[in-house]
Amino acid sequence: MSRSFYKTILDFLAYVLLVIGALTMLIPFVWMISVSLRLPAEQFSRNIIPDPFTLKNYTDLFKDLPNQAFLYLTYNSFKLSLLSVIGQVLTCAMAAFVFAIVKFKGRDFLFALLVATLMIPPQVSLIPDFIIFKYLGLIGTQWPLILPAFWGGAFGTFLLRQYFLTIPRDLVDAARMDGASLFDIFWRVYMPLSKPAVAALSIFVFKDAWNDLLHPLVYLPTDMQQTTLTVGLAFFQQQLQAGGKFTVLMAGAFLSIVPLLIIFFIAQKQFIEGIALSGVKR
Amino acid sequence: MDYGLKPLGREKLWLWLMLVPTIIGLVFGTIGSLFATLGLSLFDWDLINPPTWVGTENYVALFQNKNYIEAFVNTLKFSALYVPGVVVISLLLAVLLNRKIRGVGIFRTIYFLPTVTSAVATALVWNMIYGKETGILNFMLETLGFAPICWLCTNNAMMSVVIVNIWGAIGEGMIIFLAGLTAIPRDYYEAASLDGADNFQQFFRVTLPLVTPSIFFQTLISAINAFQAYDYIYMLTRRGQGDSSVPVAVYSIYRNAFHFFRMGDASAQAIQLALLVGVFMAIMFWWERHYVVYE
Amino acid sequence: MKKLMFIFVIASLVLAACGSKPADTGPVEITFTMWGAPEELAVWQAVVDDFHTTNPNITVKVDVSDWDSYWTKLNTLIAGGTPPDVFAMDAPLFLDWQSRGALLNLQPYIDANSGFLDGFYPQTLTAYKTADGYYGLPRDFQTIVLFYNKDMFDAAGIAYPTGDWTYDDLLAAAKKLTLDKDNDGKIDQYGIWTDTWDMELFWSEAIWAYGGDIINNDHTKTLIGEGGARDAWAYIDSLYKEGVMPTPTASGEFGFDLFQSGMAAMTTIGHWAVPGYVQAGIKFDVAPMPKGPAGQATSVNSAGFVIAKDSKNADAAFEFIKFALGKTGQTKLAQLGFAIPVLKSVAESDAYLKQPGDLNQQVFLDSTVFAHTKPVFKGYEEWAGIVGDGLIPVFDGEAELNTTLNEVITAADEILANNK
Repeated sequence: MSRSFYKTILDFLAYVLLVIGALTMLIPFVWMISVSLRLPAEQFSRNIIPDPFTLKNYTDLFKDLPNQAFLYLTYNSFKLSLLSVIGQVLTCAMAAFVFAIVKFKGRDFLFALLVATLMIPPQVSLIPDFIIFKYLGLIGTQWPLILPAFWGGAFGTFLLRQYFLTIPRDLVDAARMDGASLFDIFWRVYMPLSKPAVAALSIFVFKDAWNDLLHPLVYLPTDMQQTTLTVGLAFFQQQLQAGGKFTVLMAGAFLSIVPLLIIFFIAQKQFIEGIALSGVKR
Repeated sequence: MDYGLKPLGREKLWLWLMLVPTIIGLVFGTIGSLFATLGLSLFDWDLINPPTWVGTENYVALFQNKNYIEAFVNTLKFSALYVPGVVVISLLLAVLLNRKIRGVGIFRTIYFLPTVTSAVATALVWNMIYGKETGILNFMLETLGFAPICWLCTNNAMMSVVIVNIWGAIGEGMIIFLAGLTAIPRDYYEAASLDGADNFQQFFRVTLPLVTPSIFFQTLISAINAFQAYDYIYMLTRRGQGDSSVPVAVYSIYRNAFHFFRMGDASAQAIQLALLVGVFMAIMFWWERHYVVYE
Repeated sequence: MKKLMFIFVIASLVLAACGSKPADTGPVEITFTMWGAPEELAVWQAVVDDFHTTNPNITVKVDVSDWDSYWTKLNTLIAGGTPPDVFAMDAPLFLDWQSRGALLNLQPYIDANSGFLDGFYPQTLTAYKTADGYYGLPRDFQTIVLFYNKDMFDAAGIAYPTGDWTYDDLLAAAKKLTLDKDNDGKIDQYGIWTDTWDMELFWSEAIWAYGGDIINNDHTKTLIGEGGARDAWAYIDSLYKEGVMPTPTASGEFGFDLFQSGMAAMTTIGHWAVPGYVQAGIKFDVAPMPKGPAGQATSVNSAGFVIAKDSKNADAAFEFIKFALGKTGQTKLAQLGFAIPVLKSVAESDAYLKQPGDLNQQVFLDSTVFAHTKPVFKGYEEWAGIVGDGLIPVFDGEAELNTTLNEVITAADEILANNK
């Protein structure tokens, strides 16, 4: 068999696998949207396309909350998530650069310590962190949700460090010969080359901040105008689930992820391009 | 590893400036989390009254606490199934998507979708999908002529939960591996081609070794996620007032701290879990030193 | 380093305790947190606004959340030394909190308001009484009764349940009401659905009606395997084995409350379910719990008000509680429909008896006569988890009843021992 025929067969097989996999990825979303548009009596129906089609589930969702609560909740979630992304990208990138490129005493120890903080799950650090914020007088404000994003993070630093390590060292040497300072090398050489990794990190940080229930619950007043979307929705979910009101439940679930999907679609152009381009550049 | 520039003179200032935020975070993180938890594990604390010293009693109690042992074992089982699943599947996926196929961009988007959602939200729809009589999974099985499975019954729950977690994490792994794969310069492949290597040989001799930094990262992160997994598992196996049919370590920690007035025990459990993660990390870093190839 | 931190924690707790309880002059803000349904938020806000008009210098901030979020936040706030002033307490958990010193003794306030407790249903008060007084007060209460779907009974041609029904009558009716309406091999309508995880909805009543008991008086021994109780469990198991009740795992699939989703003809539950059933359009009515060999029994439980021991505005907090437990407050809450007012005069008035929903509200009140108080003891949550979880495999058909019951009781007794 000729080489290119072999390749075509492989491509075809790959294609089939990818399509099957893609369907598996999509079905839960399609189902979620479908159920959210159905009449309650039809919630277990096997048809994908709801008939009849209704938007009532979405309006029902927030009828018991004060007016415009949904807008406030979304705004708060959005603001905090965006701030988290900015904070994390900046501080983790700087630290990742230092850990990957610069030689200094105690580097490996510090890095190990950083990664070690991943060992403790958030539920456990909740109370000690809360006590510390209490002494800083920040309970009831948004600061405990913003500040930690600006003092680095193990995941982000780790991710970017791995990526930085794969960038060829000759670029650094070349920049050095041109008289570039440490910060210059960071900002002018490494960051531009790391768009895919930075975009990936941004998506992950945004998602984690957006989905965070524990921290807004505990630090923000449980006021439907001051807290975040996750807390607001949690309030409803238990009721809905116990009552078997799956159509409204799905509407709530979908609403909680729509902003994430929007952000993703905006960011992914940049990010997919980034991946494709970076292969060519090298 | 002996890599790195030496900072020149005044640059030392920049070095520390760039590290300052992380160092503050470390102080907060290590004191606020690691040390506090370690300290609390040596006390009994009901959250209401001042803590009382009990030394290693909480750790001894761990071995006799049947609920915790069950939770810990579940965590191990879950991780053993989940980590290889995620790493292998997402690596293969990244390799497939790295080829020149039409519509690659669309595929990448689709595969990444589950990762960009909230576990709580998608767990709700998975609950419906897994329904024994009403779920579409069983509907498809029945149409194909198979008997319906009780996905969320105690004997199948672990597997069902692993599937959902893998589903939700493939996208993340795919991105990490794609970024790693595209960092491999084209010339290596060309050279290998010229030497007469076919696709499979290229994969094992060129791709795999050069993608080890990503494998290292992804395996470690997946393992940490597995040991600390909570959201999907809880949402899918919930019953009664806050109980779960597949309790895992974090679930036990949460219940002890926030429902049973036993912060000391919860902390001891957290430390044990942390040790598990720590041991795994140590193994991974050893592996990195010997097998991971950086340029 | 850690010692230092604990000194800080202790110091802050001490300071807070010794600290200022200023005379309540000048405007005061207190926080009231509770768990509940989203609909309750609006009504409590109305109660709070009412309170504010009669007490203009006290503002109450109301926080309503779901059960899980409520306890997570409460525990965190208390651990951090910033407890809410007034918060909701589930009666069975009362002793866990009171014994650990988290609650303020309300006896001085009660004594200062003579005759304060006179109009209350006495059964609702027992859970909150300790040797040195009341550390909490019931906010509203629940009795469990039998709900039945009138349409389903009519369609099957069965007479509605009465106060004379026995558990055997219940089973017989349930069998006739379990139907596979469209002949697809799957049951579409169950005779009865109820929750057998927590004791409140069914199994405590059954045990009492069969002559057994739940726990001994000094909370050292679990009694659910003694004498009449075993017969009660056998009965409950038969409901599953006869197929008239969906298994716990199956119920989860349909959204837990199958009566509300129109898939069960009967259920045993409290008044909190009424608004949901009315909204779902179910045509239903209620009857007292059936009789067992040892008589008729049901469970009475309540949600209560407690004040945090370290609250800085205890006086204002009690004023709020007093208002909510007074005629106006109780009337507004009765109209909410989630629970039964603890004030007899309001419960026996139109505010409660003529709420929306065409059902016999009096049944809930009459049931107090043969109601046992839901047990309150330290370690309740863990204990309930062991029993509830332990028996699920039996009801799912994966384990045998009596051996499992023995294992469960041993484990449950350990919890009691650890919490002594």
